[in-house]
Order: sequence, then C-alpha cells, then structure tokens
Amino acid sequence: MKVPVSTPALKIGSSRHQLCHLAKEKDMVKIDLPKERLPDWKEAMLKKMAEVLDKYRSVRLFLDICVKCGACADKCQFFLGTGDPKNMPVARADLLRKVYKRYFTLGGKIWGRANESEELNEEVLQEWFTYFYQCSECRRCSVFCPYGIDTAEITMAAREIMAAAGVATKYVTEVVAKVYDAGNNLGIWAPAWKDNCAFLEEDLKEIEGVEIKFPVDVVGADVLLVPPSADNFVNTNTMIGYAKMFHAAGISWTTSTYCNEGGNFGLFLNYANLKKINNRILEAAHQLRVKKIYWGE
Amino acid sequence: MATKFLFIYLPYISVGIFTLGVLYRFWRWARTPVPLRIVTTPAPRTSGGVIFRMAGDVLWFPSLFKGDKFLWLGGFFFHVFLWLVILRHLRFFLYPVPGWVVAMQTLGLYAGYLIPFPLAFLLARRLVMERNLYISILGDFFALFLIMAIAMSGILLEVFFRTYVVDVKALILGLVYFQPLVPEISWLFALHFLLVMVLMIYFPFGKLMHAGGLFFSPTRNQRANWEQRFVNPWDFPVSYNPQNLFPPEKYKPSPAGPGEGKKG
Repeated sequence: MKVPVSTPALKIGSSRHQLCHLAKEKDMVKIDLPKERLPDWKEAMLKKMAEVLDKYRSVRLFLDICVKCGACADKCQFFLGTGDPKNMPVARADLLRKVYKRYFTLGGKIWGRANESEELNEEVLQEWFTYFYQCSECRRCSVFCPYGIDTAEITMAAREIMAAAGVATKYVTEVVAKVYDAGNNLGIWAPAWKDNCAFLEEDLKEIEGVEIKFPVDVVGADVLLVPPSADNFVNTNTMIGYAKMFHAAGISWTTSTYCNEGGNFGLFLNYANLKKINNRILEAAHQLRVKKIYWGE
Repeated sequence: MATKFLFIYLPYISVGIFTLGVLYRFWRWARTPVPLRIVTTPAPRTSGGVIFRMAGDVLWFPSLFKGDKFLWLGGFFFHVFLWLVILRHLRFFLYPVPGWVVAMQTLGLYAGYLIPFPLAFLLARRLVMERNLYISILGDFFALFLIMAIAMSGILLEVFFRTYVVDVKALILGLVYFQPLVPEISWLFALHFLLVMVLMIYFPFGKLMHAGGLFFSPTRNQRANWEQRFVNPWDFPVSYNPQNLFPPEKYKPSPAGPGEGKKG
C-alpha cells in the first residue's frame, strides 16, 4: 500500500533548537580526539577539510556539481518531518559547500557572498553541529539525485572535520569509547556477557529440554559470531535463535568478549575509529583462531 | 577595435578557458582517490552494466524520473533541445557539411523554437516553489538567463532579423582554420556570439560542470562486486596490540564486578 506523504511548507529554523549533547572529555581522550574544542578550531577544521577534499573524490565532486534542481528536497525524512529547509539534503550540503567555496574555489574567493560562499565562523559551526547531526546517513537522496550525489558522504565529511577540531556529540563518542572499554556499544563487560549466556543456556534447557550451548571465547571454534550486542541483552530471542540454528546445523561456534558488537558507531564519527572498530572483529577472529566470521547488525 | 576583439580574440580566449578549465576540473576529480565502495543500489555487477547504467543516466535521467516527474519533463526536454540545437550549429563549423547535419536541420530548428519553454518552466519552478527558491543561488539564475538570452537572440536571428548565413560561416570557418576575419554582421548577431562566449568562459567555473562530473560520480560508476576486495589507496594500518585482547584461557570473572574484568 502506498502511503501518501505530503511535503511540508517551509518552517525556517524549526529544528534549529534540536541539539545533541556535546561530547565529554573522558570519551574524547579514549578515541584519539581533542578532549574539547581546540582554541584554533577554525584552522584545525580547514586543515582537515583540505585533507578530506584530497582523500574523497565523492566529497569534492558532490560539492562541485550540484545544480540545485531540488529533486532531493522532498525525499529526506528529516525535512518531511520538521519542515526545516536546512534539512533538505541540498541545503544540508550547502552548509559545507559555502565554506568550501570560500576557501577552496576561485569563484568563492573572488565573488564572496554573491557566490554563496561564507567564512567559517561560530555561527556556521553551530549550524554544522545542528544539521549534520540531523542526518541519519540513509542515502535516500542519492537514489533520486540525477548525479548520484550522496549527502551521507557530505555529512560524514563534515562530522570528520568537526571531530578533528574536538567537536562531536556525546552519544556517538560515548558509544565508540565503550567499544574500546568493553567490546560493545552497550558496555556489557565480559563477566556480564558470560553470565547472560549461561542464563540463556539454563532458560533454553528449561523450555526445550535440550542442552544448547552459548559458547564464549572458545579457541578453535569454526565460526566467530559477531552479533549486535543488544541481542545478548534486550533482544535475547534473536540470540536464542542463533544458538538453536548453530545447534541444529551442528556448527561449532563462539562469541568473543573482545569483540561482540556488529554495529559500528565509527561511521557516525570518523574514518579512523570506523576502521579501528572494524579491525577488532579481525583481531578477535585471529585470537580465537576461527575459520569463518558471521557478522550482522 | 571592439569588433576585432569580439570576433578574433575573444573566441580563442573563451575556447581556451573552456577547454583548459574543463580539463583541469576533470583532472582534479580524476586524481582524487575513491576510498570506499559507495555505489547506490540497485547497482550493476559488471563493467558492461556500469556502461549501461551511465548511458541511461546521461540519456534519459532515470533517477530524476523516479523522483520528480515535472522536473524530469523540464530537464529532459531542455537537454534534448539543447543537443539538437548544438548539433544543428555544426553546419557552420564543417565544410563540406555532412549529410546527417543537413538532414537534421529542420529538427534542430524546431528544437531551437521550443527551447524557451522548458527553460521558462525551470525558471518558474525556481521562483514559484518555495523550497526551490530557498535553495536557488545567483549562479542558478545566471545560467538560466544566459541560456535563455542565447536562445532568444538565436530565434530573433532566425525569424525576424535574418543574418546572411554565408557571412557567419565565413567568420566561423576563419576562426577554425586560424585565418580570422572581422565580418560586417548585425549587432544582434554580435550579441548572440558574445553571449555564447560568456557561456563558454563561465562553464568550467560553476555548476554547469555537472555535464562531465556525472561520469566521475562514485555512486554511479562503481560496480556492486562485493565479493572482490576494494582497496583504499590511502589506507593506514590501525595499531593492533595483542595485549588488548582478552586472554581467554586465563580469563577469570572478577569478583570485584564489572569494570575490573579487563586491564590493558
């Protein structure tokens, strides 16, 4: 069934006040970021921006070739939900584009504001922090863009640039820091993980009358299972499902207390943490000497 | 002096800026690496599939068709008419004129008459629709008005103030064979000619570069060959410290509770 979605009238600034909490120092130091906003944040951001532009063709190209046709405008759920024009993908990208024009293009340097270029200042940073954290990186806009402009790439670039200057959100940095502490997003420590598994084993024996194992840190198992950590904590039916499936198929498997998280919040922060968290899966697989990795989120 | 500049120097300057500018932009994009596979699904799995997809994106804008039918109508017909008009103008550049250029003269003529309609529609869309007005910048209107002015002066030259076509051809061929001459041609033609030069000079600097940029777009020109490893050219190793790993053989749950289990 098709549900008609009406495009809202513009409500300028309607989601301007929906801000994320700023990251905390204790988390920032754990994830190799400045512990607070740097005194020379502007220079740090521009330096990172130059680096990002030279590392990602997507970012440079997408900033260059947008024709502002508006095909993406009514495709973003954040715009449909809030009516705030800055939540239209094209306008969101414009927040980065205008700074790019000012510092990295000839037209922006010559024509200034007439070419919609803008200095990087406190106000611009506030807008970045607001609207680049109101994008879920779903990439729906990229499906409808005639050039495939993917606003998620722009969002990720902007977050990476902000993070380099010590500007990030508490939610994301806290979760990333938790992975380095406990191995998963929820912060389930190894003893709790083992205890949960033992509990599920008992439960299953009561219900099914069969001994079904939830192996943890078994060296030499065939398969390393990397589930979303919530499966061990909230959605335990899913965890039970994995165990039943492995039991029925007769596959030897294990989870790891070093890496028991399939979700990667590095995606919402920066490349270095994204890679570091992904690498933990490989490290755990080497440590437990498994043959295969089953990984989902 | 002014006519000499317009008909002799400016054409070479604008063609030079256009060519070098476009090549520079292409080179800049081409040398910037693509670190990750970010192709938009559903994506082709083979190179042939990518060519097919790209051809589609260039020729009939399927993404736009999915998203906005009216915009697709305006955009599609504008680009079709534009190509027909450009191809029709080849008769000034080639001697002798190839048969297919002769054959499409009428078609190109009607395309020229019709091109103001999609242009006007695209302009009206920007002005009337609130959200499109919000995102439009000066460059968007500049490009629209410039092309509109070129089209209008062209139509006037064709219909009301006809220019002696042999003079035009002599001018263009003179430029092509580096034997330029200053023709005795009406001010309206001079305007038409000047505006085209302006368009060529503007082209590499603004959003008009979407024309070639599409071919570089990683969400469109990549394959969905997920089973092959995609190598990031600037990848760096992450510090891997085996000490960080929990030693499972030795691991004992800590009686002190959470937080004591792992010590680096």
